[in-house]
Formats: sequence, C-alpha cells, structure tokens
Amino acid sequence: MQNLNVVDVQNVQKIYGKKNEKQYQALSNVTFNVKQGEFIAIMGASGSGKSTLLNILSTLDQPTAGSVKINEQDITSLNKNQMADFRGKEIGFIFQDFNLLENLTDRENIALPLSLQGVNSKKIDDAVDKIAKRLGISEILSKYPAEISGGQKQRVAAARALVHEPAILFADEPTGALDSSSAKELLDTMQDLNINDHVSVLMVTHDPFSASYASRILFIKDGQIGEELVRGTKTRAEFHHEIIDNLGTYAQ
Amino acid sequence: MLFKLSLTGIKSRLKDYIVLFSGLTISSAIFYMFMSMALNQNFLGKNSMMSASMTGFIFAFGAVLLSIITLVYIVYANSFLLSMRQRDYGMYMMLGAKSGKIGILIFLETMVLGVVATLIGIILGLGLTQVVSNMLISQLGLTITGFVGFYLPAVFVTLIFFVALFFIAALFNRRTLLKTPVLELLHGSQKPVKFKQNAGFVWLQALLGIVSLAIGYAAMINVKILVLASIPIALVTIVLGSYLVFNSLFTAVINVVRKNHKTLYKGLRSFTLNQLRFRITDYTRILSMISILFALALGAITVGLGFEKLNQQFENFTYYDAQIVTKDQKVAKEVAKLDVKTKSTYDYKIDGGTVYFIKDEFEKTPLKAMINKSSNSMGFVTTKVGTYSVADLAKETSGGYYYLNNLIPNKKATEQSPMKNVFLTQAEFDAKPQTANSIDLLTVKDFKNDAKTLQAINNLQEKKDPRLAEYMQSTKVFSYLGVRAMTSGFEFMGFFLGIAFLTMLASTLMFKILSGAQSDVSRYEMLSKIGVRRGILRKSISTEIGVLFALPGILGIVHVLFGLQFFKAFLADPYDGIWLPFTIFIVLYMIYYLITVWLYQGIVLKKIK
Repeated sequence: MQNLNVVDVQNVQKIYGKKNEKQYQALSNVTFNVKQGEFIAIMGASGSGKSTLLNILSTLDQPTAGSVKINEQDITSLNKNQMADFRGKEIGFIFQDFNLLENLTDRENIALPLSLQGVNSKKIDDAVDKIAKRLGISEILSKYPAEISGGQKQRVAAARALVHEPAILFADEPTGALDSSSAKELLDTMQDLNINDHVSVLMVTHDPFSASYASRILFIKDGQIGEELVRGTKTRAEFHHEIIDNLGTYAQ
Repeated sequence: MLFKLSLTGIKSRLKDYIVLFSGLTISSAIFYMFMSMALNQNFLGKNSMMSASMTGFIFAFGAVLLSIITLVYIVYANSFLLSMRQRDYGMYMMLGAKSGKIGILIFLETMVLGVVATLIGIILGLGLTQVVSNMLISQLGLTITGFVGFYLPAVFVTLIFFVALFFIAALFNRRTLLKTPVLELLHGSQKPVKFKQNAGFVWLQALLGIVSLAIGYAAMINVKILVLASIPIALVTIVLGSYLVFNSLFTAVINVVRKNHKTLYKGLRSFTLNQLRFRITDYTRILSMISILFALALGAITVGLGFEKLNQQFENFTYYDAQIVTKDQKVAKEVAKLDVKTKSTYDYKIDGGTVYFIKDEFEKTPLKAMINKSSNSMGFVTTKVGTYSVADLAKETSGGYYYLNNLIPNKKATEQSPMKNVFLTQAEFDAKPQTANSIDLLTVKDFKNDAKTLQAINNLQEKKDPRLAEYMQSTKVFSYLGVRAMTSGFEFMGFFLGIAFLTMLASTLMFKILSGAQSDVSRYEMLSKIGVRRGILRKSISTEIGVLFALPGILGIVHVLFGLQFFKAFLADPYDGIWLPFTIFIVLYMIYYLITVWLYQGIVLKKIK
C-alpha cells in the first residue's frame, strides 16, 4: 500500500511557443513521484515552473514530452472530456483564492463534485455532513461564502476538494490569502487529514512555514527539480529552519 | 500611444465589438425606418381610415415608445461596452495614464462607435425601408401609397436623437471611469453578492404579483363593462404584477426546488439554479419591462394582421362579386379571366320611373343577398346568404325592393323616390317598346384573387359609359379596395412596430446578459478546474440564458392572450390566425437567444481549453 505511486512524473518537459517562434522551456526533465499517503510540498520562486507543473499534474495543461501518471493512469493520453472527468473524480483542489461559488451555499458548494458524478442525493448529504464534521464547518453549511471568514472559506474549499475522496489533494498556495492563525489551523487540519485519513497531499507553495508541514519537499528552479528535503524524524520547527537555510543557499 | 493601446484592446474583443456595433446599427436603422413613416404625413394620410393628424398622433405615441426602448437599449449596450473596457482602462490608469486622457479616450470611443453606427444605421435603414416595405406589400398584398425609403426629416431626427443619446452615454462612461477607484475597475467583477431574502416576504410579493396580474387580465376581459377605464387599470396592474412576479415568484419556486436535494443534486443543476436565482432578482426590472414590451410588440403584430381579417369580413357584406352591365368584347375578355362560380342574368327595361323585369327569370334563379344574421355585443355583424322572392322584390317596404333597385344602372331615382320594380311575363316584357338591357351578376370562387380583374372590369365599363361612375362605386370590389387601402396601413404599421420592438427588446436583453458575462468567467473557469466537462458547462449556459429569455417571453405571450380580449371591440375574432404572428415572433426571439448563447459561451469559456 505504502509503495503505490499516487503521482508518477517521468521526464516531463514543457516548451511554450511554436517551433518557428521564440520558445521558452518552462519545465525540463522533471521526474518525481508521490507515494500514497505522502504529504509533499513543491517549493519554488515565481517563474520557477511550479504553476506549470501543477497545471500539468491537474490535466489543465499538457506536457510537451514525458509521462504523468496519477493513480496508475497515464493522464497525457486522455481526451478533453476524459480529462475533465478525471479531474472530477481523482483530484481535489484547494486554491489560494478559495474559488468557491459565491451564489451557492456552502453545502451546495461542497456537494457539487458528487452531484456531478451522479451520486444519489442521500449519499451526497451523508458525505457532505461527514466531511463538514471532520473539518469543523457543520454549523455554517447553510451560509453563503460571502458570510463566512477566509479561514472558514478555505475549510469549505477543502471539504469540497475531499468530499469525493480523490486520489490526491492538490493545494496551490492554500494559505496565501489567510491570516497567520487561520493559515496555521488549515495546515494543522491538512496534516491531520494526511496522518489520520491517509489523504495524499501535493502542495505548491513558496512559504517555508507551510512547506514545513510536508514530509518531503521538492525544490524547483528554472524548470528543474533541484534539491529534495526529507523531514524524517525532525520536528516541524527544526524542519522549518532547515528549509529556510536551504532556501538561502538554493536561491544563489 | 494610449490611443494605440485602446485600439488593440478593441481588436482583442473584435467579436463582441462587432455585435455591439451591429446592434447599435440595427437600432438606428429601425428608428430611422419608423421615423420615415411617422414623420411622413403624406404616407399616413393616404393609408389609414382616420385623418392624417389622428394617425400622426398614433405614430407619435409609437415614436415615444420606440424612443424609450431605444434609450433603454442604449443604456444596456453602453453598460456592455463599459464592462468590456473598464478593466483595460483601469489597467492603463494603474500604469500611470492620466485620468483626463483616459476620460477623453472613453468619451471618444463611445462617440465614434455611436456616430459611425448611427450613420451606417441610417444608410441601412434607407435600404431596409425600401426592401421591407416592398416585401410586406407583396407578401401581404397590401396597397401602400406615398411611401418612400428616403425621407430627409427622418434622417435628421434619427441623427440628432442618436448623437444626443451617445453624447450622454459618453459623458456617463467618462464619469463612471473617472469616479470609480482603479482597484474596483480592475476587480469590479469580483464584488460579492448578497442573497438572503425573507422567505415569507418573497411569498407575499409573489401572491400580490399574481393577484395584480389577475386584476389586470380581468380588466381586459371585461372591457365591455369597464370601457376606457380598463386601459389604465390593466396597464398599472400588469406592470406591477410583472415586476412582483419576477421579483419573487421565480425565486420562490427555485427556493422550493433547492430544498429538495434529490432534484437539486443532479450534475450542475444546483449551480444553474443559483445562477438563475441571482440573475432573475438582479434582472427584475429589465425582465418585467421586456415581458410588457414583448406583449406590446406581439400585440401590435397580431392586431395588425387582424385587420387583414377585417377585409375578409368585409367580403361577406356583399353577395355578388361583379355587376356586368356593359356587354362588349373588351369586358367579355376580362370576364373570361374570372374564375366564375355562379352567374345570374336578369333582363330589364327602363321606362321613366319604372323598371320592368321578367318574373320567370327571378323565379328560376332567385336574387340573392347577404342578410344580417346577428350582431354581437360589440356591434359586430355576421351575415348569411339570403334569397328574395319576387313578392319581396315588388313590395316597396321590403329591403329587397331597394336592393334590386340599386343593382340597376342609369336610373334617375333617388333614395327618397326609388324606381318602381314591375315584374312581367316574358310576353308582356317583349311587348314593351323600351330598349332591352341585361345585367349579369357574378360570384367568383376566390374574390381576393380576382379583385384586380374585377377592378379592371369596372374601369372598362366606366370608360365606355362615364355615367356609370357612381354606379360602379356600389360594386363590391370598389368598397373592398377602399377598405383594403385603409387596413393595409394599419397592418403595415402593426407589423413594422412589432418587429422593430421585438428586435430592440431582444437585443436589450442580449446586452444585459452579455454585460454580466465578464463576472462569470472565473466561475466557469473554476468549474472546469474541478472537473466539469465543457459540454456540461455549455448546457448550463444554454439553460440559464434560455430561462432568462423564456420567462419574459412566456409572460408576454400570456399578456397578449388576455390583451387581445380588448380588441374584440374592433375585430370579430382577434384570436383567429394568431399562430402566424406568434410563430414569427418566437422564431425571431429564438435567433436572438441562440446568438446570445453563442456570444456568452465565447466570452465565458474562452480561457477554458
């Protein structure tokens, strides 16, 4: 079980621009994997290629070369509808700006991925109640996103990302729009979900504090994966320091 | 430099600009077309049964309505323009462009767009007026006189009206852009929306809305009792009712559906329903306005076409289609062209104040006439075919006596002292020394079809004997063409106003919906990210816009169905043949719907691969 690769990226390359135009290589030869139940962070500065990588992983963009497997399935060979279905089934997303639908209640927001899959409404209600309880947002389910705080919004977004039990949770700067205490709460929750519910997480961030919650960190620079840091038995605080030290040297 | 930048901004959204531009062009073309009729006293005077000043008044009323809807239309088209541009201009301002310069730019952009659209619209209007009027004339078999495509006063009025409107719009845009904080310009589409409504209050409004609609409809059905009072009653209650219904009923219904998770959790339904709930409340005013204008426009077409039926009714007032008293080659040649159904010939001789007939002829083929069968409460007469016996025709007090009298030409009788009808045997008739004449009374299979030939026959007879001029005025075809000329005018106006209103209101709705598209981009992008297929997104958009188009359309149709009650005063059966205007309307409306969906999807799904 532990050895199953939930994400398997092999020699991925991404080049923007057509052959006779000026080309720009966003990713070159990226290879890594995420084991099931792992909490991985990908760190890099702006323009390092981390967004491109996340877009490719989430089937929103396609690599120029290389293979990407998620849950043992090669996602580069899918057609557009299959990609959409794949995203809906296998991937959960949390974005920096929450991306909740303002005109739906929290409950309706969370229910959306399941109702898209045609799950029966009784099961949807049960699943929504379960995940809401898990994330401590049962009380606000009938509210609209505009009526709740940023931290609560991100919890609702997390609930929506997890309600259909995806193979992996992609988090794109999930704490970017949160104050420090909300950020910490969210990260604690994510860690808790990872440890106790075995949710595999891939988080893209440039914030060392967020990254310190991960069990493994991949550093990306100029489109290539450079260093890798493993937390191992270190405490989160020690790991945080290590990341900052590493960033200091890595940036040069 | 900024000017160049703003041009590239236009280029990047060329499709939307083309739609905006053509919408403005069409609205000014329609305005011109209408004005070319409304201001042309020559045309009005000749084509309606009322005096030119009276029709002038009706048209002035139409012109006011058209101006109001044009105004509303420009407001929405302009808000669409602004929604397209505010981000660009916000960005230039953020980059340090002086606000004065931006103000000039947006002012110029609005003015140039508007004035060019108006000029092209007028040229288009010139051509369209000619084409549409020719088409209508030939399609409906109308006779229109004094109508020309180019009418200078209309050109001026259109130009002045539109330039003034765009000037105001340009000032408004300039003000909006300069007064709005830059950050809001950049993120205007991300404003949160407030939703909570008191459920009880919503239901109360819905109930009030339905009640006011019911009162309005009742007022129109009971026009006989309320007479003129029914117009203001219906107007107020229906406007109010439409508003309340849009403001509450549909939201209330959607809320009920939302409570049931079994129906709510079906694919994207919860999203689509909530989009609609938000839209309908946000669009209350425009939706109710559109439902009423839709009713007015559809009503105008239906009633206009209803006048065609007046012609048909008129056909039933006279039994014989032709009265042939001149027997020569030329007339016979024209008569041969007719598709004759029946022919009765009666011989007669005129002796001073007496006309001799042959009794046998009237007994063999009795003289027929249309007799009043009944008249309805509104004074509407229905007729049936009746026969006169010789006794009737000879009796001075019977209707048949005068009827026969009027069929005889060259008499010297007056209403007060009619000629005497005397019926003789063949032998007695032959013995009379006066010249024998005969009259052929014909009926044809299709009167409308033969009307032209019948008129030619009248003209030939009159040419041969000018004394017949007055007699010919008593023929069916003479009165028919007279009534036709009058009703054609109304038909034409009804048709024209109806189509003009429809295009305006449908494009107003289109621009209102499209100007909201910008704020939906991120929603659809997000849905796509979480795995909604493009096809499902398209379907959700089609459904949402479909409902927004359908609701005012359906309510408008209901308004018309009740409103037609009102026209029972003029038309025997206003509901007869309404499928034609309804079909024309629905098809045109559908075309606008499809264009809106296409454009909306273009804006919203552009970024989604």
